[in-house]
Amino acid sequence: MSGPERAPGPDEAHSPAEPAKASGASGAGPARGWRRPDASMSLLSDLFAGKVLDPGYTEAAARRAAEGAAPAPRRGRLGGAGVLFVLTLVGVLVAVTGAEVRRSEPVAAEQRSRLVHEIRARTGESDELQRRLDRLRAETERARAVALARSTAGRHAREDLAAAGAAAAATPASGPAFVVTLDDAPRPGRDGRGAEDGRVYDQDLQILVNGLWAAGATAIGVNGQRLTATTAIRTAGEAILVDYRPLTGPYEVTALGDAGAVRDAFRDSAADRRLRLLEDRYRIRYETRRADRVRLPAAGALQPRYARPQEQGDGQDGGNGDGGGQ
Amino acid sequence: MIALIGLVAGVVLGFVLEPTVPLWLQPYLPIAIVAALDAMFGGVRARLEGIFDEKVFVVSFVSNTIIAALIVFLGDQLGVGSQLSTGVVVVLGIRIFSNAAAIRRKLFGA
Repeated sequence: MSGPERAPGPDEAHSPAEPAKASGASGAGPARGWRRPDASMSLLSDLFAGKVLDPGYTEAAARRAAEGAAPAPRRGRLGGAGVLFVLTLVGVLVAVTGAEVRRSEPVAAEQRSRLVHEIRARTGESDELQRRLDRLRAETERARAVALARSTAGRHAREDLAAAGAAAAATPASGPAFVVTLDDAPRPGRDGRGAEDGRVYDQDLQILVNGLWAAGATAIGVNGQRLTATTAIRTAGEAILVDYRPLTGPYEVTALGDAGAVRDAFRDSAADRRLRLLEDRYRIRYETRRADRVRLPAAGALQPRYARPQEQGDGQDGGNGDGGGQ
Repeated sequence: MIALIGLVAGVVLGFVLEPTVPLWLQPYLPIAIVAALDAMFGGVRARLEGIFDEKVFVVSFVSNTIIAALIVFLGDQLGVGSQLSTGVVVVLGIRIFSNAAAIRRKLFGA
């Protein structure tokens, strides 16, 4: 604002007594015509001196006193309009901020519920897509069957395809079944054996499944999961993975086919003998039964290894990629 | 009296109009409020001490608010926005408290 009328010495500016003097002057006001050179930097010393009032007021008062005006006019030229304006502004600010804060809480909840809605909608969408995929697959199947039924070569191809599809577990299968149930031994082994010995291992399942294949099963599923010729059965940690999906006991192995023939062939096979031995020695659960009608789903996505998609324009018998090739 | 009327009118106006604050302005609202409170307490104290000046009041309010917002804006650009707003709140808060203490001394003599 106005320049210093009486320049203080450089050492005077830093003397500790100085702020006290200044604050004493600020109370009554009239004798404050000079300024320290570091007046704008003296926040802390002003604070400690208790002189925190905006110096503008004291300065204006001093100026008025110097001009000989009234010592304290409450309203200036603005006639109170300025005060009204500023305080209205303050009120608006407070109200708007309050409203803003109150609004932002529901916004968070709203966003969360919107996310939940979106998740549900997307899940439903993917379910719908899955259904559509199934429908389209069935349609393709039908169209292919119709197209292949026109010629003898086509009929042959269809039979080959059906056999290949069944062998590759590419189509759902149903029919009478021979069901074997395996489970871990009851936890505290009755004859003092630890629970570790009474567990069903991946090897046991592998041997059982191979024995069932050997006994003439046409399709096998473990706990409802269809096995293909290349499905892995293995252990990871304590869980048995079938097709890389963990299963928990009891393990129910369903072998589709002529149930009686499968049972007869399986009885006294190497797998059967081994499992009986395990049952006797480690008390694992080993049960067999027959089921009249069991349905097994198609195996998961099949990756053709040797079949290649045919080039476009090759006609009707191009759709043999998913059956495992010819 | 005018001050009280203005404050009440402002709050009512704010609630009735409910202006939507643009997103880029929202971080400055709390700082602006603290600066405005500082100007208000300064004004009340000056009034009680008999040296109130309307021009000083208006100018100090406007400049305090703008400078506080500017500091926060600068801090946002530098990546220390929250620290600088804390600093602004601390400084203005100290002033508010000491002004309030002066007002209390004037009003109650304690």
